Amino acid sequence: MAGNWLPSAQLTGSGRPVLQPGEVECSLLSSVDLFSEETPSFPNLKAGVVILTTHRLIWVQESTTSPTAIFIPLSAVTHIFSLKRSIKSMFASPRFRFQASLGEKGTKGVVVITLILRGKSDIDSFVEKFWEAWRKKAWEDGKKSGQEASGSGLGSGHGSGVDGGLAVRMPVVGVAGILRKEQEIWENTDKSLQEAFQDLNALMNKAKEMVTLAERMRAKLLSGSTSQATGTNDEENGTKEEMQELLLSVGIVSPVTKESAGALYHQQLSRQLADFAKIPLERAGGMINLIDIYCLFNRARGTELISPDDLLRACSLWEKFDVPVMLRTFDSGVMVIQSKSHSDFEVFTRIRSMVTTPDALRAGVTASDAAMTLGIAPAMAKEHLLAAEGKGLLCRDVSPDGFRFFVNLLQEVDADDIFLVKDYGIYQTWVKVISDAR
Amino acid sequence: MRRRPGIGGLQNAAAARDQYRLLGENVAKLRTDLMKEQLATFRSQLEDFARKHKNDIRKNPAFRAQFHEMCAKVGVDPLASNKGFWAELLGIGDFYYELGVQIIEVCLATRPHNGGLISLDDLCKLLGQRRKAVRETISEDDCLRAISKLKVLGSGFEVITVGKRKLVRSVPTELNKDHNEILELAQAQGFVTVDEVQRRLNWSSGRATDALETLLEEGLAMIDDGHRDGKRRYWFPCVSSVSSYAGADTL
Repeated sequence: MAGNWLPSAQLTGSGRPVLQPGEVECSLLSSVDLFSEETPSFPNLKAGVVILTTHRLIWVQESTTSPTAIFIPLSAVTHIFSLKRSIKSMFASPRFRFQASLGEKGTKGVVVITLILRGKSDIDSFVEKFWEAWRKKAWEDGKKSGQEASGSGLGSGHGSGVDGGLAVRMPVVGVAGILRKEQEIWENTDKSLQEAFQDLNALMNKAKEMVTLAERMRAKLLSGSTSQATGTNDEENGTKEEMQELLLSVGIVSPVTKESAGALYHQQLSRQLADFAKIPLERAGGMINLIDIYCLFNRARGTELISPDDLLRACSLWEKFDVPVMLRTFDSGVMVIQSKSHSDFEVFTRIRSMVTTPDALRAGVTASDAAMTLGIAPAMAKEHLLAAEGKGLLCRDVSPDGFRFFVNLLQEVDADDIFLVKDYGIYQTWVKVISDAR
Repeated sequence: MRRRPGIGGLQNAAAARDQYRLLGENVAKLRTDLMKEQLATFRSQLEDFARKHKNDIRKNPAFRAQFHEMCAKVGVDPLASNKGFWAELLGIGDFYYELGVQIIEVCLATRPHNGGLISLDDLCKLLGQRRKAVRETISEDDCLRAISKLKVLGSGFEVITVGKRKLVRSVPTELNKDHNEILELAQAQGFVTVDEVQRRLNWSSGRATDALETLLEEGLAMIDDGHRDGKRRYWFPCVSSVSSYAGADTL
């Protein structure tokens, strides 16, 4: 699509970009054109969604059935032109230009790229965010910490890299040396903790360091308390449990928010939710209570809570996208999320194979039989059986034995010759089973 | 090191080893204690920050991600809004939403033990433990208000009354596997009693009663109060083994 000018970006199943480690979404804009005025051979990309992250500018084509995407790494951006203000620009769609050197190590040369914002979006705040992300150079952090992690892979205890310098160079000899080193590490940790929590800005600057510290503490505490299980008291067990419990619920590094996505909020939220729901769904066997998802999703989002109404709206948008999950409402008013692979069709196939076993052909099946065979709750099984009956797959029989379902043999009967007993198919099997039983 | 022969040498070496081990243990203990202390500071600071600078944190996506990571790693719940005046009065603000999320989480976490049925008292107690940092007790009324905010998401989460107690049910009938277990239990005799279910499956009386009542409503069970021991029996005519006798009779 973009020729060989721009690399293509990976997308998730529901058409959201796959972010790199450490990459966070900053802003989203809808219906944006992307082209170059000076370089005619540059692809002319029309009406896509632009996602600005701390690392990249991603352009997603959503109008086609399977969304495709390309990206421009922010590291390739060499200059950002300031917005032009004129009478003319007040009436035209706002446009915004920046310069980037494209290709591997700038082999494609420098191109001035223009973005035209056709949607009703606030260009000023977008440009501001673009500047901020570009200036912060978050992509360099990512590389550096990657190298650090591989370099000090053994992790002898000084994780924050900055404070380690002096301590390592001191001759570490004998027991005293080890003890001294230990102490220094603790003093350093104490100091950096104090510094980081002076105020919010200090914490922001030291955020990376604090994250590694938290990581280290967690690792040590978890490994420590398992190895010396004898000395643990209740409180300690409590903290450990708490920590492990919360581990389950972290996940979305870059939650879609009203602030970042603006008009695209519900649409993007819907896609993110679809991506997120996949794992809990698998764990729950293909169907999960909407309330459970509400909790898990919000937990994964941290402080960025969404309201139940927003969740419902996001779910109702799924019909419009090609996502592998769907919302289902039962007659009882219970709402669940269901994976499409676990849909009615698949259940009907299983019900069909269940009712065509010799026993079931003779005596039929009840909701509780179905519940046991399909491994689902009886109420659910009944729901499925009634749905299958509605499709003409089953017939019901109400007797003192209760509600029983049989395979619908009427479908097998030939309308032109109703007395013909076929010597094949389910009809034949049924005849055989019944005559055997007598 | 010069090797010293004889029993004296061996004893010396053993003594030295013991000394080293003792020292090592001391250091290790000191280390865990220090670690815990620092962790405690870390957590309380994070909790403070989560409360005080909530809006600033939310404004900066990159920092927000890091902040969440920190919270998650050391086990701090970033949801810690105070109830505040407006929340109390009008039910607006994040307080009840946050509480709602925490309530569901408690229900999810305890589900393996109680099958998705928890008494309101226990729920409040567990929530209180979780919200230690926010020095504000959660009343039953707060819980009920928070739960009422979840109504939009279908009827899968409800407060029911069994006897005098209020229970919160987080598993809808359609997804309740408890019923399967009762059916399995009933297969032996064709009926069960509340006592039997409680004893055999090790459930609370509320859980057993609720499950049986639901099965009754669903039309899967029939009750029989006429037995000599005075205990209500729940018959399951649909259970395969019994009905196949019936089937054999009629054929």
